Amino acid sequence: MSRNFIETEGPKWVARGIISPEQQQQLLALYPDEGRVVGLLPLLGSLLVGLSALSLIAANWQSLPETARLLLLLGSMGGAYAGGEYFLRRGGNDSLGIGLVGLGLILFGISIILTSQMYQLIGYDVTGLLAWAAAGTALTFLYQSRFLFSLTAAIGGIVQGYSTGQLSGFSYFTAALAVLGLGYYWWRHPDAVLGGILASGILWQAGLLINFLHAKITWFFIPAMLVYAAGDWQTDRPAGRALQAPPLIAAFLFTFGLALYGETDTYAGLLRPPLLAYLGALLVVFVVSVMGKRVRGRLGSLTDWLLLLPGFYLPSGLALAVATLVVLYAYSGAVLWRAQQEGNSDRVTLGITLFILTTMAAYFKLTWAFMDKSLFFLCGGALLLGLSWYLRRAARAALPPKSK
Amino acid sequence: MATPLPLARRHRLVLLAVAVQVLFILGVAAAGYATTAWGSTITLRTTPVNPQDLLYGDYLRLTYTVSQLPIGLWRETSRAPKANEPVYVLLQPDADAYAATGVYATEPAPGPRQVVLRGWITNSWRHGLRIRYGLEKYYVSEGLARRLKKRPALLVHVSIAPWGQARITSVAL
Repeated sequence: MSRNFIETEGPKWVARGIISPEQQQQLLALYPDEGRVVGLLPLLGSLLVGLSALSLIAANWQSLPETARLLLLLGSMGGAYAGGEYFLRRGGNDSLGIGLVGLGLILFGISIILTSQMYQLIGYDVTGLLAWAAAGTALTFLYQSRFLFSLTAAIGGIVQGYSTGQLSGFSYFTAALAVLGLGYYWWRHPDAVLGGILASGILWQAGLLINFLHAKITWFFIPAMLVYAAGDWQTDRPAGRALQAPPLIAAFLFTFGLALYGETDTYAGLLRPPLLAYLGALLVVFVVSVMGKRVRGRLGSLTDWLLLLPGFYLPSGLALAVATLVVLYAYSGAVLWRAQQEGNSDRVTLGITLFILTTMAAYFKLTWAFMDKSLFFLCGGALLLGLSWYLRRAARAALPPKSK
Repeated sequence: MATPLPLARRHRLVLLAVAVQVLFILGVAAAGYATTAWGSTITLRTTPVNPQDLLYGDYLRLTYTVSQLPIGLWRETSRAPKANEPVYVLLQPDADAYAATGVYATEPAPGPRQVVLRGWITNSWRHGLRIRYGLEKYYVSEGLARRLKKRPALLVHVSIAPWGQARITSVAL
């Protein structure tokens, strides 16, 4: 329950005589203003100020002498850090302070780029920008800030994208910085939002690696499911689940794509890595994940692995598409079932959505070719409306009323 | 902020982190001077470019005679060049500028008067390959850029440091 909620609802409870004004104050005192929310406005403000100063300087940049340019860069970076530290020490305006520190970090990256531009230096490797990601990681640990964490994850993604795109090399250091640096931070300070950001950042870099190595895209699921398995070992359940969401979304989308396009052999053929190597690697990750689930008592979530069934090894054709649809139905059914067991209405909604998506794919797959198009859309619409109505009614009936 | 560090300790560490960042930027600048001081200078000739699309705000877009090379210079016999592949181009003096004598996938040992310039293949076809050196943008003030772009071809002085780093030192009018 948030402070905000008590602030708005409290007076009504007092008016109805449920609690006394003193009790309302006591309740409010239980939820102090934590100030740990990211605080969007000061951050956006600092970004805008930075950008406008940048454009002003950029307009006259080349006509400034070199030392002046260097001093300007160092001065603005140092100033942003000093300002951030000042506001954090003074207290009361922590998000502004962190925003300024973040601005300092951004200015560090800009300084690296502009200084090498000033001397017309060519970057043959990503060392310069790697320092940027490293500085972000260090500041994340120093300030223990969720904003700096997110910024560093984004910087890592940018650096890796530049490295693979422009320099034709994958920077394993940058990847290690994200996995070990930010990963360790998240492990010690588990947090749901950061879990999602961390997993997305790592998956982005994993995708770049697979692309860089020209490997079959299915190899992507080895690192992705390693991230998932890390979520199994995390003691903080919501944080672990958030870390697992991006890999699961990727796996679901992939399986969904397989159901839609798996019939053609050209597509399925692109997906088949060497059988033993791939299955062996997947099995290792699976075992790590199952052990984590066992130790933390979450074996119920084992159904997530349904999405990783390597159906693409089957000969392509309608049979493969149908088998994939069965897997999707099993998965979304399992999500619904677990949500009902836990009485978690958010996950019921998720399960319903997945179920409906799967039904859409199945309907499209099985009837598009031999049904009149107007009839196709009419029946499809009716099917979806009916299904969603039925599923919602069933979910409402099964979930215990919220007021209890 | 879950368990903040003790304030004094954080203050010291932040100071250290910022000092390291300042030193790093100064190091980038120093690398620029060091490349000129210890590097060998070569001259590259640009190809005549349509003067209308030469100027891009604060930089000049340059194309060199060594930017597009005949496929015969590709020295790896076992395979064809791949797009985006990093390569080493062996250069030697030819009249007033340097010309390429070979394109290698691994760093070759340069002979006397020869230098190695690194680059990336942007594309290759049956008769040739196109190479990006990272020297294609020359950052100058707009006034100088306007004067330079009137020339049909430019001579560009490039410093190559013994450790492989390269930079444009000047563009001759």
